[in-house]
Amino acid sequence: MTRDDHTPVNVLTGFLGSGKTTLLQRLLRSPRMAHTAVLINEFGDIGLDHLLVQKVDEAVVLLASGCICCSIRDDLKAALRDLLGRRERSEIPWFDRVVIETTGLADPGPILYTLLGEPVIRHHFRPGNVITTVDVVNAGLHLSRNPEGIKQVAAADRLVLTKTDLATPKQTSAVRDELARLNPSAGLWDAAQEPVDADFLLDATPFARTRDLAPYRLREDRSPHADSVTSFSLVLDRPADWTAFGIWLSLLLNRHGDNVLRVKGILSVEGSPTPVFINGVQHIVHPPQHLERWPTDDHRSRIVFITRDIDHTRLRRSLEAFCRLRAAELSEA
Amino acid sequence: MCALCGVFVGEAHWTEAGVEAVDGGRTRRHERLHRVALANRVLKQFGLKLGDWQGSAYLLAGQTGQTAIVSSVAGLWPEAERLRRQPIDPLDERLIEALERD
Repeated sequence: MTRDDHTPVNVLTGFLGSGKTTLLQRLLRSPRMAHTAVLINEFGDIGLDHLLVQKVDEAVVLLASGCICCSIRDDLKAALRDLLGRRERSEIPWFDRVVIETTGLADPGPILYTLLGEPVIRHHFRPGNVITTVDVVNAGLHLSRNPEGIKQVAAADRLVLTKTDLATPKQTSAVRDELARLNPSAGLWDAAQEPVDADFLLDATPFARTRDLAPYRLREDRSPHADSVTSFSLVLDRPADWTAFGIWLSLLLNRHGDNVLRVKGILSVEGSPTPVFINGVQHIVHPPQHLERWPTDDHRSRIVFITRDIDHTRLRRSLEAFCRLRAAELSEA
Repeated sequence: MCALCGVFVGEAHWTEAGVEAVDGGRTRRHERLHRVALANRVLKQFGLKLGDWQGSAYLLAGQTGQTAIVSSVAGLWPEAERLRRQPIDPLDERLIEALERD
């Protein structure tokens, strides 16, 4: 399955004052971002000197299901369709990427749902990396008091540390550890200490610059800032039956989607020499991608779960029981 | 793509899109029958049965003759819970034990 002809849309999120616009300003100087359209929710104090900047007013249309993450962001729908139409009519310079800078309180779920669920948009755009800025000085406060902050970190593919120049090394180290506990699947970049690395932030390489997940058979990390939110990485020795895995995950998300903040991993699938990349945020699952090669020599499935109030041992037993269903079916055939 | 809300017209659900991605050598019909067989392993614990419906949807039936047509695996679970009038929880200890015994 290829979606290369779709324009990638990066979501840039992070709590109030965490340096989203400063990062965007730096990123837009990169040649890789030369043809990027930018959608922002509010014009802040930092001006963006860029050809294609458009303001959107946050508006969420809740669907009949009542599920918050599965709601269409009407503002984004209108803005992306408008950009598309104007690009097709050559009314604006050609763009090959869109960046959406959210408000500090935005839940990334509805944005991803709009990109994957809105019929016109999903045929022209695809989600790129979710990039979340984390202000090291105030991270503790944000993560302990704001559920949106936790969702923004959980949804991240790339986490950007900001204001480390204003923090003590001990503070920075503690936040690094905390983020690795909350979302071990996201790559980390220090915006204050390192030059802008657009390739790292924009390339959708799974598990780039993450701590090694492979040694942990069933590793569980509990965050001191969000007691009920935990992450764990699960390693499966044997290839899985894709259909059994899909039945299990769809049932898990149907019943517990609100508490499964993130599922991200590479799955070794029966009948396939290379892995399938899976990526889900709450109820929303990206179309699975068949990777061209394994990222490392370890060819086992590795899946990271970020969950709230879910017993990890039971989740693993459940997955293994569902994966064994295939053997039972074939033995009867 | 949304496990809760089901699919959109004309778009394959991610569970089915994944089949194209993995290319396990099964035909589309074989894959649908395989999906039905696996889902029935779970559904039988709740007195429900799934069947293929004209190669384009699935027919879910309860023991008392109630039926529902669903377009994908994602749409299946809310309907199964509606017909059974109880949650179907993959983390329920009794379900896990039943599947482990099965």
